[in-house]
Order: sequence, then structure tokens, then C-alpha cells
Amino acid sequence: MTRVKIKNLKKSYNGFEVLKGVSLEVSSGSIVALLGPTGAGKTTLLKCIAGVEQPDEGEIYFDDINVTYIPPWNRDVALFFQTYALYPHMSVYNNITFPLKQRKIDVGAMDNIIKSISTKLKISHLLDRKDPSTLSGGEMQRVALARTLVRRPRLFLLDEPISNLDAKLREEARVEFKRLHREFKQTIIYATPDFVEAFAVAEKIAVINNGEIIQYDDPLTLMRRPYNKFVATFIGSPPINIVRGHLVRVGNTVIFKSSGLEVDLPQDKNLETVSEDVELAFRPQSVRIDGSQSGRTLRGKILAAEFMGHQTILTILVDNFKFKAVVKGISKYAINEEVSFSIDSKGIILIDPKDGRVIQV
Amino acid sequence: MMQRNTSKKKIIRKIKQIATYVMVLAVTAYFIFPIFWLIATSFKTRAQAFSTPPLFVWEPTFRNYIDIFLKRQTEIEAITGKELELATGAETFFFNSFLVTSTSILIATFIGTLAAYSFSRYKPTGTNTLMFFILSTRMLPAIVVAIPIYFFYRYIGLYNTYIGLILLYVMFNLPFAVWMMKSFFDEIPKDIEQAAFVDGAKPFKVFSKIALPQVYLGLGATIGFLIINVWNEFLFALLLTEKATRTVPVMIAGTRGEVGINWGLIAAIETLYIFPALILIFILQKYLLRGMTFGTVRGVKQ
Repeated sequence: MTRVKIKNLKKSYNGFEVLKGVSLEVSSGSIVALLGPTGAGKTTLLKCIAGVEQPDEGEIYFDDINVTYIPPWNRDVALFFQTYALYPHMSVYNNITFPLKQRKIDVGAMDNIIKSISTKLKISHLLDRKDPSTLSGGEMQRVALARTLVRRPRLFLLDEPISNLDAKLREEARVEFKRLHREFKQTIIYATPDFVEAFAVAEKIAVINNGEIIQYDDPLTLMRRPYNKFVATFIGSPPINIVRGHLVRVGNTVIFKSSGLEVDLPQDKNLETVSEDVELAFRPQSVRIDGSQSGRTLRGKILAAEFMGHQTILTILVDNFKFKAVVKGISKYAINEEVSFSIDSKGIILIDPKDGRVIQV
Repeated sequence: MMQRNTSKKKIIRKIKQIATYVMVLAVTAYFIFPIFWLIATSFKTRAQAFSTPPLFVWEPTFRNYIDIFLKRQTEIEAITGKELELATGAETFFFNSFLVTSTSILIATFIGTLAAYSFSRYKPTGTNTLMFFILSTRMLPAIVVAIPIYFFYRYIGLYNTYIGLILLYVMFNLPFAVWMMKSFFDEIPKDIEQAAFVDGAKPFKVFSKIALPQVYLGLGATIGFLIINVWNEFLFALLLTEKATRTVPVMIAGTRGEVGINWGLIAAIETLYIFPALILIFILQKYLLRGMTFGTVRGVKQ
């Protein structure tokens, strides 16, 4: 149980700024996800927290203690490396027990924990392997995960811990993280480029891009009220639809107009100060097709339908604008069929094209 | 038609294979022959060694090997009519070679490895300049500094001492050890050491338990090359030693200066001298190969 506070952290490599003043507060015993694309600075941030990289500026606090200059071996954190970083000259068993031996913990007494972890991660049969470089990618990842989870540190830092596992094991691992968290109440910071994973695991998510934290909120808020275009597009599958157009005020109502697309905006919103030139974003899930529409009805042509099991993703063309819509189950529409649809006004997001900020939701 | 083609291909492949073997054998013979001739000569008497055409079948004599260490009175007596005693003192020279080589390599590898690790990992200010500076000590041909070093050694009293020779060899081999070991350390992904730090290991433990075991191959290669360098060194050993600290290469050169050249004796000393090196090179074979190809193979599969 440790509260982590990061203040204005900056880090450059050879003049390239990887972290541009990151501040973050992770409350004690919570799971927070760092969500961002490759090269966003997730790994560097985790390494700074673990102490293996020294930030150029800024401070890191564990429970109000400034740990910025405390060496990694005294910080009592566990870090799962994205590259696994297994010790290539040690057997799998020795890899897993290495952190225990360093802390003079009796490995014999920990035998049960080692066994239960390796059973859960399905690596029991690998423990005697001499050379970890002969393992497959997924096996390496599980061994590295076992090495991380074998301790009970004050803070877990997990850098894309399950990216290389197959779908079933990934789901099990997610459940296991949550169970571990419930059981031991350790603080976990979990870096991932996959928003589904972040949503499944974390209580709060920090969206990070280009070395800056863009938004730090719970999953629902991120989905409903993204801070800017980046957050809006990074979260959600299929990705949010965005079209550029302008606002037209007719009496009390404000209408968004783009070639072929006209959408009524909710009346209760104050749109007076907004400039006319905007981008409209809506999630594929807020497109209502046939029967269920509300508000202004539009017409478009179905270009493609991808059946995903529990839903179908349709690609619809209106004039020159292609967008995605999601319908439950199997789509009954034929390719090239004309359909009428509407866009749920609750799911509409307006973006200022000048700075990419979300105007209001 | 098809069958004839494939059988033709088979024959061509066979011929290529045989040709390859013939070539390899020829090249090997070319390199091995001098060593073979050396060993053969060491078992010949003076007359046999000089016989034309050269003898390929003869009754071997062990006299030369005995003569290396034991005083002899036979042949020279026949020529000069006097009894001469030749004390070769070979044991001392062999001991000197062992002592100087092993100590200087131990020191050079130890310091070199530590320096290489800190250059590779801690990157002190001016690492590149320092690395170049270290290398620059190897840029002058050794003979250019030979005379100054001779006077310098005489002046400070290091002439004809073990320490003097060892220090000199350490100085000559340190740059090589640093550069070579650094390239091996550079190859280890940083993450592995960082993982050890997070797992609770302190810097020296990370060096000794994590980094060093991963470069054992490189260490073997470095030691192998250093052995070749020091074991064979002649110029400075000649300049800076007298009888007490003389090494075998100098002794060999001195052996030919007596009455006529006794090739059999020289060959015997050389055979004895190359054996330890030969055995070590055989043991270190795979490391040396690794050393020659370093940089081309990734150390760790990721």
C-alpha cells in the first residue's frame, strides 16, 4: 500500500524529450493504467518510478517520502519489463527466485508461492529449463511475470505484461491481476497501448502521448468526455468517426452541417461562443439504423459489413464521408443497400479543429 | 530426362564437395607444415637436420630435449677439443615466461574488464575521448618507444625486474582488453541489469552476477588474444631483461649464437614453448572465434 506522487517529471535522451513534465498521483492501493501508443513515454515513466532511470527534473514521492534519489534496490518496487529482461545465464527457477535471494528471503519457505504462481502462469514444467533463451515469447513473458509477482513489494509496475500471451491466457492474467490486487491491496501501475486492457484492469487511466499526460480519469469519463481529439480517437473500437463541417443556427436549434450530413445538436448546450468551423465526432455505437432512430434521419449506403461475433461493424458512405457504425448481431443489410440512420445526440462530441480540444460534450 | 538431370546435379555437387575438401586440406597443410617441420626437427640430430634431401623418415632422438635443461659436453668437445659446459638455465626462462604472461594478463584483464564495464554502463563524462585516448597508446609502433623506455626503465630501476616487464605488458594490453570487453558489455541489453537492480541487487553484484557471466565468451576471447600477445613478445623482453628475468623468446634468439646453429635444440625449445599456448588456444578456440566475429551475433535472444 503506497501512494505514488509524481511531480513535473522530465527526462531526455540525447536531446530528445521523452517526458515533458509528467505529474500524476496514484492513490494508495489502486490500479492505474498508463495508456498510450508506442513511444509515448510509458516505459521511461515506469523506469523513473522504479529508479533505474534518473529523471532530469521533477520528483517522485512514495507516501510523502521523496524517493527521487533513492537507488532502485532500496525502493522495494517490482517492475515487469516489456522486453522481459530474463537473466539469460540462469535457469528459469533461478530467474524467478533471484529477487527473493537478493532480499535474503528464504527461498525454501517461499516454495509454495513459487509453485502456485508457476501453476497459475502454466510454467511449472519449465522451471528446470537451463537456458531461458530457448523459451517461446509467451513463455518468456510468463516467466518474467512470475519473477515480478513472486515478491510482495509496496508497488507493482507492469510494462505491457500480457501483450504476448494468447487471448485466453491474457484474460486469465487480467483476472489474476485484479485478484492479486484485491487480496494484497498493492498499488499497481500498469502500462499498455491497448485501451480494452486498460479498461478491464484499471480504476483510473492516465492517457499519455508524446511524453505528456493528456487526461487522467476513470474509464467512463474518458469514454464520454475525452479531453481532446487524441483521447477521443485512441479510446474506443472501432475508432470514433470524425467529420469536419460547420454550425448553422436556426432559431433555438443548432445544426451541424457537412456535405450530406446534418445533425441536430442538443439544445441544452451553450453553443453561442463556439466558432462555426468545427469537427463533429461520434462513436460507431451511437449510430442508430432503421427503426430505432431519433431526431433527424439521414440516408447512406452500406459499403462493407464485418461480422465480429456479437456485433457487426458497418461501413456507411454519405456523400464523400465514410464512417463506421455498429449493430448488434448479424447485419441484415446487403452491400450497397441504402439505409436510413440517425446519430444519437447524446454521443456527439465537438472538436475545435485549431487545437484539437474537445469543445463540449 | 529429369532423372538424368538430377543425377548430373548430384555428381556436380559431389565434385564440389570433394574440391572443397581438397582446398581446405591444402590450406591447412600450408599452415600446419612449419609447425610439423619444427616438431620433426626437434627430434633430429644436427646432421639429420641439415641433410639434403630433407629426411622424412629417421630414427628420432630425444637428445635435444635433454639438452635444453641439462649441461652437455659431447658435440662441442669434438669440434674444439675442449670440454665445455653449457648451462642453459631454461627452467628459469620458462618460469619467467609463465610468471610474466599470467600476471600481466591477470592484471590487464581485471582492470580492463572493470574499466570496460564502467565505460559501457556509467558513461562517465568524456567517455569517447577517454576511449580514444586509451586506444592512442597503441597507435605508435612499439619499436618507436623502445629506446626511451629502455632508458626510462634503467633510470627508475625497473630494468631487469619482473615488475617492470609485467607493468609494460599490462600497459600494452590494457587498451585491447578495455576495447574488446566494452564491445561485449555494450551488447548486453541494459534492461537485464536494470531488472536486477529492481530485484534488489546492488551495483557490484549486478556486475559480478549478471553482467560478467553474460560476457564469459568475450572474456575468454580477450584472454586468448592477450596470451598470444604476451607469450610471443620479444622486443621488450630482449631490451629490458638480463639473465634473471629473461623470457623464452629471448632465450631462443640467444641459443643460435653459440658455435654454429643447433637447429635441433632451437626446434626443441620452440616446440616446448608453443605447447602451452597451443593447448590454451585449443581450449579457448570457441571463445577466440567469438572474439573475431564479435558484433555480428546478438548475445541474447529477445
